[in-house]
Amino acid sequence: MKITMRVPKAAVSSQRGQLSKWYVEDGAGVKAGQLLYCIEMEKTALDIEAPFDGVVKHLAEVGKEYAVGDAIAELTRA
Amino acid sequence: MALTESLTTEQALSIYRTMVRIRACDQQIQKLLASGAVQFMYYPCAGQEAIAAAVAATLRADDYMLTTYRGIHDAIAKGTPVTEIMAEIMGRHSGTSKGKGGPMHLSDPDSGLMVTTGIVGGTLPIATGLGLAAGLSGSGQVTICNFGDGAANIGAFGESLNLAALKKLPVVFVCQNNLYAEYTAFADSTASASIADRGPAYAMPGVSVDGTRPGEVYAAAAAAVARARSGGGPTLLECTAHRLQGHYFGSDESHMDQQALSAARAATPIDTFGAELVAGGSASETELAAICSEAEAEAGAAVESALQAADPQPAELYTDVFADIAQIPYRQAGPAPREPDLGAMETAEISYAAAVTQALDQAMAADERVIMMGEDIADPAGGVGKVTLGLSTKYGEQRVMATPISEQAIIGAATGSAMAGFKPVPEIMINDFLMVCMDQVANHAAKLRYMSGGRTAVPLTIRTVNAGNVGRFGAQHSQSLETWFAHMPGIKVAVPSNAVDAKGLLLSCIDDPDPCLFLEAMRLYYNPAPVPVEPYRIPLGLAACKRAGADISLISYGWTVLECLAAAEQLAAQGIEAEVIDIRTLVPLDWNAIQASVAKTRRAVVVHPATEFCGFGAELAAKLHETLHGQLLAPVRRLGAAYTPPPFTLALESLHFPTTDAVVALAQESMEATA
Repeated sequence: MKITMRVPKAAVSSQRGQLSKWYVEDGAGVKAGQLLYCIEMEKTALDIEAPFDGVVKHLAEVGKEYAVGDAIAELTRA
Repeated sequence: MALTESLTTEQALSIYRTMVRIRACDQQIQKLLASGAVQFMYYPCAGQEAIAAAVAATLRADDYMLTTYRGIHDAIAKGTPVTEIMAEIMGRHSGTSKGKGGPMHLSDPDSGLMVTTGIVGGTLPIATGLGLAAGLSGSGQVTICNFGDGAANIGAFGESLNLAALKKLPVVFVCQNNLYAEYTAFADSTASASIADRGPAYAMPGVSVDGTRPGEVYAAAAAAVARARSGGGPTLLECTAHRLQGHYFGSDESHMDQQALSAARAATPIDTFGAELVAGGSASETELAAICSEAEAEAGAAVESALQAADPQPAELYTDVFADIAQIPYRQAGPAPREPDLGAMETAEISYAAAVTQALDQAMAADERVIMMGEDIADPAGGVGKVTLGLSTKYGEQRVMATPISEQAIIGAATGSAMAGFKPVPEIMINDFLMVCMDQVANHAAKLRYMSGGRTAVPLTIRTVNAGNVGRFGAQHSQSLETWFAHMPGIKVAVPSNAVDAKGLLLSCIDDPDPCLFLEAMRLYYNPAPVPVEPYRIPLGLAACKRAGADISLISYGWTVLECLAAAEQLAAQGIEAEVIDIRTLVPLDWNAIQASVAKTRRAVVVHPATEFCGFGAELAAKLHETLHGQLLAPVRRLGAAYTPPPFTLALESLHFPTTDAVVALAQESMEATA
């Protein structure tokens, strides 16, 4: 199983978010619940967890701004 | 006070397990939303777990439940499978509603979850109907109607509580007061100190409990459920529990009292109850941790399975609007339904109104699931138009139920009882009054089959009257509003033009598996015709050719069919042979018959009692031009009511509605046009 993790629609008014930090390396194995990255949206920092165990692939760059729905990472079931 | 005092250890642990299952699902959903892998509006239930878990613990598996968009806790507690809930909120075909409902419209009749509504207060009227059905069938089922404190301030609340108390219906109205109506604090939206205070005003107990304490909720709910089940009538049960988040996932919390919010988060109902169970020796911390792990594993597995589940196929777009997909406009397939052969049947000369009465009488005699509800419909009044006179005497006031002047409750009572297997025929006295219950008709009755992915159906027939053009009924009693309903996917619309059709179409509507609007014309009420005495059915979606002609098609329905027939006589005297098509039902629409007629005559006028602007004539004219462009000898013309509210004085009313002379004039213009 593989999912694409995206900039969330954190609120009805959400339009864009900035990837501010990776907590794990590209290609790292992670456990469900482990923090993967942080996105800043409307002055709120959102720490995003892994929904299940898997391997993370980075699809976005720290410091860049992305639109809601843009891909940030891919998580593949270990 | 001990949280567990009214609960056995087994009950307490079972409720605890339900609470943590709810929390696990709620948290999984929010993690998933944060990951951006899925996206939808989500209204978290955190803080209200004890209410759902403890109320559900008092119920039978076959008891009914209704809830709102903030309602996955109620669904889980009632027994809706978590895998199907997760699949539904992700829009998958394996979801509770094939992905057509989403998180705001979970439906699982197998577990008793009948409706989840996105309309604040929308389920209260429907609860009365489920209660009515349980009472009529003697099933002993109780209906739990969950709603928030915000819903207590919408009109449907008062209508529903009054009707439930008046008829002693087995319903428990559970107000989950989470202290905020969306973004507005309870004290800023509600003048009274509590919602429960209003119970006695409706002659029912109003009970207020701490909704964070499972023992208190259980004791109060058990008493209310027992009262309902034993015929004691409804209870208003207010369970107060602080919402632990903003209105929806991601919404800001600036509208919330930060101190109270922090305090509520510091002592959640689950943590407090868990500590109480350990302190009381009901369970060890290890045992509770095991329950939590199991719940998390269940929620995690459900999410994984939903993520991998398939979306519905594109063909599902059109399924579940009606039981039969071919009844969607312009999706006619195969041969048209057949006109019944009435030629050999014995007839009696009766009026249009009497034909309606006869249909109701015969339907009620043939099937005890046919019931009626409406204002003044029971004897001795027998309805304002006397159409139901004698029926309550013959079939009893349980089956022919006079109601308060509460249109939302009338339609809700019909919707709920229809969902529970009855064939209700609610009466809305005049079609203008449908405007006060449009939420029940349009957002609920018409949409429930689709929103539930076909898991539920609402086979009701709303009888109502168009009192236009009978003289001096004025702006609020003379409109013809059928087009509004034709515009609303999920409800069929029959508008008979004569006594024979009135009886035959009404019997078809009552038998139909979908909601129907049956619009009677007061202008035709006292027109007699030889009507077959025995029951017969005229299929929905079958137009009638009332007069054959080769020169021009006059297409109409309802009382204006008579204007068209009179116009055709005048035109014939001028050597113009008009064909008159009575479409009889707007939905389903016999498009093939209309198209065939106009393909032959190549000229058409569409005539109807409703406002011409944006009326049904606009739809038919556009479709005829799209289909027969190049073949028409003249533009399709429309004739409807003028764009004014119906005036009172005859001096103006006669100018407002379509007349025979106006039909003739338009037909003549059409004949003069050359391609």
